[in-house]
Amino acid sequence: MNLVGLAWKNLWRRKRRTSITATSIGFGVFIAVTFSGMGDYSYTNMINTSAKMGLGHISIQAPGYMQSPSLDKQIHHVNDIQQRLATLNGVEDSYVRIQGQAMFASAHKSVGGAFLAIDVNSERAEHNLFIRSLVEGEIFIKRWRGANETLSGIVIGQGMAKKLKLRLGKKLVYTTTDKHGDIVNGMARVSGIFATGVKDIDNSVTLLPIQTLRETIGYSADEASVVAVMIKDQRYTDKLLKLVQLRVSELGRNETEVLSWRETQSEVAGMIRLDRSSNQVSQILIGVLIAAGVLNTLLMSVLERTREFGVMMALGMAPLSLFALVVVESVWLALMGLSVGVLVTVPWYLYMNRVGIDLSGSIGDDYSAGGVLIDPVLRIYLYPETILMILFTVLMLTLLSGLYPAWRAGRNPPIDSLKAM
Amino acid sequence: MPLPQSEFIVNIEHVSKHFQQGSVVVKAINDLSLTFEAGEFAALCGPSGSGKTTLLNMIGGLDLPTKGAVYLESQDLSTLSRAALSQLRRDRIGFVFQAYNLIQVMSAYENAEFVLALQGVPKAQRRERVMSMLEKVGLKGLESRRPDEMSGGQQQRVAIARAMVTHPAVILADEPTANLDSENAEALLDLMETLNQKEGITFIFSTHDQRVMDRAHRLITLRDGKLDTQRYKKEKAG
Repeated sequence: MNLVGLAWKNLWRRKRRTSITATSIGFGVFIAVTFSGMGDYSYTNMINTSAKMGLGHISIQAPGYMQSPSLDKQIHHVNDIQQRLATLNGVEDSYVRIQGQAMFASAHKSVGGAFLAIDVNSERAEHNLFIRSLVEGEIFIKRWRGANETLSGIVIGQGMAKKLKLRLGKKLVYTTTDKHGDIVNGMARVSGIFATGVKDIDNSVTLLPIQTLRETIGYSADEASVVAVMIKDQRYTDKLLKLVQLRVSELGRNETEVLSWRETQSEVAGMIRLDRSSNQVSQILIGVLIAAGVLNTLLMSVLERTREFGVMMALGMAPLSLFALVVVESVWLALMGLSVGVLVTVPWYLYMNRVGIDLSGSIGDDYSAGGVLIDPVLRIYLYPETILMILFTVLMLTLLSGLYPAWRAGRNPPIDSLKAM
Repeated sequence: MPLPQSEFIVNIEHVSKHFQQGSVVVKAINDLSLTFEAGEFAALCGPSGSGKTTLLNMIGGLDLPTKGAVYLESQDLSTLSRAALSQLRRDRIGFVFQAYNLIQVMSAYENAEFVLALQGVPKAQRRERVMSMLEKVGLKGLESRRPDEMSGGQQQRVAIARAMVTHPAVILADEPTANLDSENAEALLDLMETLNQKEGITFIFSTHDQRVMDRAHRLITLRDGKLDTQRYKKEKAG
């Protein structure tokens, strides 16, 4: 029995009703792609941006550093750690950094802030928000001390430059504590100014050459406060976290703890969780509405055909075959809905992925959320698994909505169905 | 229940069928016993409410008796499951309804092919049998027409083709001429009579139509769910 062909014909008994239902399924796909795509894009963007602000997707630190950051908590053998991570599949790069708090003073004023000491020769701009946001000058100045090349200078945010009335080449004194907790000073000339767009960051963060800072605070060349690990795809953070933990523990030294961005950027993680939950609630509600539409269409169609089903059963069609017929009708409806969804959504997706909608006018000049820079252009991007999940969910939702009408179709004894008008 | 030793194709033994209508019990069939031999061309007649259609439905396994037993080819229908009854109807019974009851989205060909497809007959064989049957019922060239593109007489011919094409043991026809004009009714009866004589298929009608009664070889009159009279007019086919 060609149930597939019969089911297809049955759906077109009521062309308008079928078209409206297929369109509503397509609309569901459109909404799901838009919401999920905004989520996939913005969450990835926020996670990657927060990782580029110093601590990476995965961060190797001294135990307790996260709870109370202090320069007397340092990790050792950072070069060995870096070497062990270099061959780990999925890790893009790792960076040795020193992070700390300091007072920054110019001839005019002093402000509190933070420094991130980096090895500029190993840093890649795409992994460092501050390097990428340089608007004036350069990242440090090369000098020769005998036969050795050294780097000097400090890169400050635009906000701090304004507050301290500094410009390129001007002196700045920073005061911090060394590895023993004693107060130490350093002096540097402003070599560069960055502007990330996040006010708090531009007002308070500075970049220092790691070797210069090590000398100031008494760290050896193999010590740092953090090794920031950048991974190729943030979705695999948890999987890689375990591998990084394993590699680090293989060194046989227990003085480190390995944290993911969820722990080091808990505000971002919380915000994403909250946003994802509300997104899911919206999508569930839309799903329920679509399912109700499909249920209505199939149930009406089954009730209208009660007599015909009675005839089919009288002629020898088994109740299970009738059930299967209505299920196949719901599969057709799902496939039609998905086709409508794909037709409508693909151009929208391509536009939103490549061009997007620029919201900078309505956001203002502070493009940050949870202390992390966000993209003022609204875009959508879908991971392959999200696409599959949307298609699978819509298909399942339609199929499940068809189960009750399908059950109704074969439930009545044929004699009762034949009596139906 | 032991099977009765019989050459009868249908054996109805002390069958009663009661319906509850509100607080009233309606006795549609009341302790009726009747047999049909293979090749019969028999008509159940009687006034409305006499139990003709109810009896036909029970012979076809669409309804089960409250008491007694209906045997089709020595098989007690009340002992069969729903699935087994479906299978029995598919393989051994042909139905012709008063309102034709064709499937509206299917063409004449597809309607006639429907039961063969349920039986899982190969496509090529189905085509051969359906085309031959449609030709026999005078619908050659109308295979692709849908029910709404055919007259009542043509639709009833499709219904007969659908019932006949599987070579069932018995065809149960419930008021098959009720919606047809005289010309179409006579033509249809000619056709069914010819098929009965040539193919030896048993026909049991329920009818009010004098034309059907005139053609029937046996007239069974029911009254208040009981056998009133029974009259043999001609020898059965074969």
